[in-house]
Amino acid sequence: MNKPIPTSADGLSRVDGRAKVTGAAKYSAEYNQPNMAYAVLVGSTITKGTIATIDTKLAAKAPGVLAVLTYLNSPKVPGHIPTKAQKPGAKSGPLKVFYDNKILYNGHPIAMVVADTFERAQYAASLVKATYNKQAHDTKPPKDLSRGVGAWGGKDFTRGTVDAWKTAPIKLEQEYIHPSEIHNPMELHAIIARWDAPDKLTVWDKTQGTQATRDDIAKAFKLKKEDVQVNSQFVGGAFGSALQVWPHEVAAILGAKVVKRPVKLVLSRPDMFTSVGYRPYTWQKIGIGATADGKLVGITHEAVGQTSTFEDFAEGPINTSKGLYAVPNVTTRYKLLSLDVNTPTWMRGPGEATGAFALESALDELSYALKMDPIDLRLKNYAKVDPDNNKQYSSKYLDEAYAMGAERIGWENRKAEAGTTIQNGWLVGYGMGGGMFGAYRDVAVARAIMKADGTLTIQTAVSDIGPGTGTAMVLIAANKMGIDPGKIKFEMGDSALPLAPMQGGSATTSAVGSAVHDACTVLKEKFQQLMGNGGTDNPDYVKILKEKNLPSLEVLTKSQPGPDNEKYSMQSWSVHFVKVLVHPTTGVIKVDKVVCVADSGKIISPKTARSQVVGGAIGGIGMALMEEAIIDHRYGRFVNNNFADYHVPVNADIPQIEALFVNKPDPYINPIGAKGMGEIALIGMAAAVANAVYNATGKRVRDLPITPDKLI
Amino acid sequence: MSDKKPIISPDSEGISNGTRRDFIKQSSVLTAVALTPGTVVHAASDHMDEQIAAVFEKMPLKMEVNGKPHSLQVEPRSTLLDILREQLDLTGTKKGCDHGQCGACTVHVDGHRVNSCLTLGVMVNGKRITTIEGLAKGEELHPMQEAFLKHDGFQCGYCTPGQIMSAVACIREGHANSEGEIREYMSGNICRCGAYPNIVNAIQEVKAGGQAV
Amino acid sequence: MKQFQYVHPASQAAVLDAIAKPGSKIIAGGTNLVDLMKKGVMSPDKLIDINNLPLNTINTSPNGLHIGALTLNSVLSENSLVLDKHPLLAMALKAGASPQLRNMATVGGNMMQRTRCAYFYDTAMPCNKRAPGTGCGAMGGYNRMHAIFGASPQCIAVHPSDMCVALAALDATVTIAGKKGERRIPFTEFHRLPGEHPEMDNHLAAGEMILGLDIPDNNFSKNSYYLKVRDRQSYAFALVSVAAALEIQGGVIKQARLAMGGVAHKPWRLFDAEKFLAGKALTEENFNKAAQLAMLGAKAREYNAFKIKLAPATIAEALKHAGGLV
Repeated sequence: MNKPIPTSADGLSRVDGRAKVTGAAKYSAEYNQPNMAYAVLVGSTITKGTIATIDTKLAAKAPGVLAVLTYLNSPKVPGHIPTKAQKPGAKSGPLKVFYDNKILYNGHPIAMVVADTFERAQYAASLVKATYNKQAHDTKPPKDLSRGVGAWGGKDFTRGTVDAWKTAPIKLEQEYIHPSEIHNPMELHAIIARWDAPDKLTVWDKTQGTQATRDDIAKAFKLKKEDVQVNSQFVGGAFGSALQVWPHEVAAILGAKVVKRPVKLVLSRPDMFTSVGYRPYTWQKIGIGATADGKLVGITHEAVGQTSTFEDFAEGPINTSKGLYAVPNVTTRYKLLSLDVNTPTWMRGPGEATGAFALESALDELSYALKMDPIDLRLKNYAKVDPDNNKQYSSKYLDEAYAMGAERIGWENRKAEAGTTIQNGWLVGYGMGGGMFGAYRDVAVARAIMKADGTLTIQTAVSDIGPGTGTAMVLIAANKMGIDPGKIKFEMGDSALPLAPMQGGSATTSAVGSAVHDACTVLKEKFQQLMGNGGTDNPDYVKILKEKNLPSLEVLTKSQPGPDNEKYSMQSWSVHFVKVLVHPTTGVIKVDKVVCVADSGKIISPKTARSQVVGGAIGGIGMALMEEAIIDHRYGRFVNNNFADYHVPVNADIPQIEALFVNKPDPYINPIGAKGMGEIALIGMAAAVANAVYNATGKRVRDLPITPDKLI
Repeated sequence: MSDKKPIISPDSEGISNGTRRDFIKQSSVLTAVALTPGTVVHAASDHMDEQIAAVFEKMPLKMEVNGKPHSLQVEPRSTLLDILREQLDLTGTKKGCDHGQCGACTVHVDGHRVNSCLTLGVMVNGKRITTIEGLAKGEELHPMQEAFLKHDGFQCGYCTPGQIMSAVACIREGHANSEGEIREYMSGNICRCGAYPNIVNAIQEVKAGGQAV
Repeated sequence: MKQFQYVHPASQAAVLDAIAKPGSKIIAGGTNLVDLMKKGVMSPDKLIDINNLPLNTINTSPNGLHIGALTLNSVLSENSLVLDKHPLLAMALKAGASPQLRNMATVGGNMMQRTRCAYFYDTAMPCNKRAPGTGCGAMGGYNRMHAIFGASPQCIAVHPSDMCVALAALDATVTIAGKKGERRIPFTEFHRLPGEHPEMDNHLAAGEMILGLDIPDNNFSKNSYYLKVRDRQSYAFALVSVAAALEIQGGVIKQARLAMGGVAHKPWRLFDAEKFLAGKALTEENFNKAAQLAMLGAKAREYNAFKIKLAPATIAEALKHAGGLV
């Protein structure tokens, strides 16, 4: 309990940090090619219908314009042509760019201008004029279960008795709204596409998975995988928005084919709202009941998330209610509502973050109804085995996390009655909220090469969206090999390197880290074998290579989950504690103090892990207090598609944040003992803020974001 | 398309001397084009049209970037940000919104931090620009770069050049005297990964260290 | 962005000549104009860069404090004369935009900035201000940020400036130059209400330019406060902002100045509340009464009804700060 609190200066600094602080780090749009052209997309200004006419003459004649692509003249993408008849009523699938005249949502790409400079392409794009046959559209989000269609085959889930919460002596039922959130990484999605031969393509692309992107592009353009090279050395954030190949990437590749030059396409910030997914607007209702002493009787969690008319996107808002607490009766109903909008996608803590806002708010409401401390309520219902499948947890120290966080936030200062503490003219409140997310391990391969000069090179195709993959991998390798991290070079972000999963689902350290660990283990064993006599723990690599007259020694190792990954329930856990100040008459909210505790196994890289948790907390503050993508439903068009109107936190919104770790290795998940952390850093944070606001004001805001107007 | 091209009127009253000279220079380039043998012009008439347009649409821009003089021809509509990234290949300065709403494009013009995305290139004629690439002295990092590394003032790194340029200015302006003041004066730089507390720590360390920034 | 011609005249006379031609537009800091040109909302044929003109001075004059139109917002916010005589103005300036933008934006440009209404900014939407006759998208649309005072059926946009709210409260005057010479108008009469012509933000005539401002000396410097309520703590436009200035003598308010931002097409001066406060004691009750008086005639739309509650709360709170009650 008296562990020192990590600071921002503790631990190994990022191995790619020097490149990032000097401007040397190159992101996808920054590999300028000789003779490169620039592409700019034109989006529809209606929401549903068909293109009647599209006039590209002015644009085509504008200075510097090389091509204007529309559905009328674009080469067809081989993978877009259906090979079999579609089932009646089935959705058409991912948007096929420049495929036909249908408009499926406002901002649907209708044309792309390619010109010799960015300025000329952008101006010419403004000259493309379309007329439409408009149809009535519907972008209004769900407000109850009625319009939704069951996701995943439409089956409701029940453990124990259906809707058992209604039988409990203390109960409540409330609705929670989570608006659409845009990932809005700072780096605009960008691609440079270069055809090296009619059947050979190189792209520099913002992606969370170089190989998945390679495979998707190869499939779309009917190319051999080995003839598609995907580079994504640095990724300027993504949070899920770069987990799939989007229409603009296909468009740029088409454009490069047409103009026979490398083509750069950088989305605009407004494009980021309509082109690369978002966290879907989700309506939720929670019914929860407990005995008078706080034992949960049942939870019913209903959710309807919005999706597009052409693609279903389902996530897990109801998952947390199944697994976070030991509750005998759980009913979940999850549905999708198809609207004339773009398709949502995974965004950090997908589903679970949305669900945890509702569940952890409801728990807080129940705690007031029970007159019970929110932590005590959670401990009363602490799950010692996974209530969803009765498996043992591979590791769980959430109770320790509660205690650590409570101590550091000063939980004893929280008043049980809401709206009663005022200091210097501001209402003071404390809140907490937690979350869980599955801890995964995928197959991954790593190559480790020890060179005669004593430097070690580690290679994997993984891309890094910011958590510090390289740093963690170097630390794993340094630890295993017993060498200085400064002697290790980590090569990544290249689809030609050894197999790595996409960076998503908080699984990179677990999967790729295990591969690096295993490769280094095998490499070290090889040296030990070379030494003979059983070797020693720490071979002198340089000496051995010299003695054996070898320029280098290299291994390629595949690493994969074992039976334990099936046998145990593997989860990462988090709890967030927040102190807020709320101005009683203007409703201004200041987050005054934040303490986050993660139970995510062993911490490999303390400095970057801390930053990841701090970043997740800040994402949660944004979710709680300001983020909301707003559509004017008369037009089906966004009215805040920029960084001035779509608010994310700025520096002035954020206090010092303590990020603490239980830091106990998970003995079963993988050889390094580390579980994922990216998602749990966010999950539960919005509820913690909302609960603190309630504690301060006595006002329960169930529709995010909690802006000042909702508190006056 | 000639109607879509801006007309530079020979009647250039009100144009300062520099600009008048520029116009004459542009005219002479145009004359050279006109004197090209007719067959060549004919063969490449489509492209020639563009070249003429380009000549008319460009103006000279002289500026010093990271101590190095540059003499360019730019369209008046080209922003300093796009000129740095696309013409000078100085890609350390980032485009995050292109509308002055995020600060990723922050550079110093004559020592002051500005949003290069809203700065027309022609308006920094004769000025001294410093970008993230010009901050270190060779291999020796600027103290702010060191502090960002030490305090992990970033994750993905995309907002980082703008944050660092802003952080240096924040101290130079005298706006780094307290945690609260730093937060306020660093609020023009959005970080979506959420490195704010670490950025504040880095700035406080540099400020406390008293090194020249 | 449309291509345009760029000139950089050396004299005021040359600027006035240049802007007399249709399609010409002055550029100073460019923070709003370049933004709007990128969006295609404004598309001048010719930009007249006025940065050669000697209009960036701040000095005392018989009219009070003179501020040249090209003074940067950042420079003005740190100027010792401003901090000493009119700290309210410095507070308002620091509440606006970001340090980078304030390093570019000029006083004249700040006065000339256009509304941030989403419908004005999106050329695919109706907007009477951008395209007269197309309708007001905000009226029946998403109008959370919009006006509760002085709107017309044609436009419910608000002026986005913080600086201008303070200048309205401080009784500044604007000096304007045209081909016929110079004229001076009260700051409160510089911006206009939308009426039938929302395309016009202010009373600057075609061919005119702003030379500068004068703020008369006053006794408000000890008791003034700018309070801006917004969705985040910095780098956001106001939901409501209030500039409050009090002259206090013997514990009684001798005179008051109040103006609001985020509520109207122009900085909204609260004359009735000021009159009420004159001669009153510094009490929360009086501040609340003044705030209620200020709200007469307020009209809410679908999404901005909260301003009817937030505005008086902000007025009262700003007065408490100005009066030293907080």
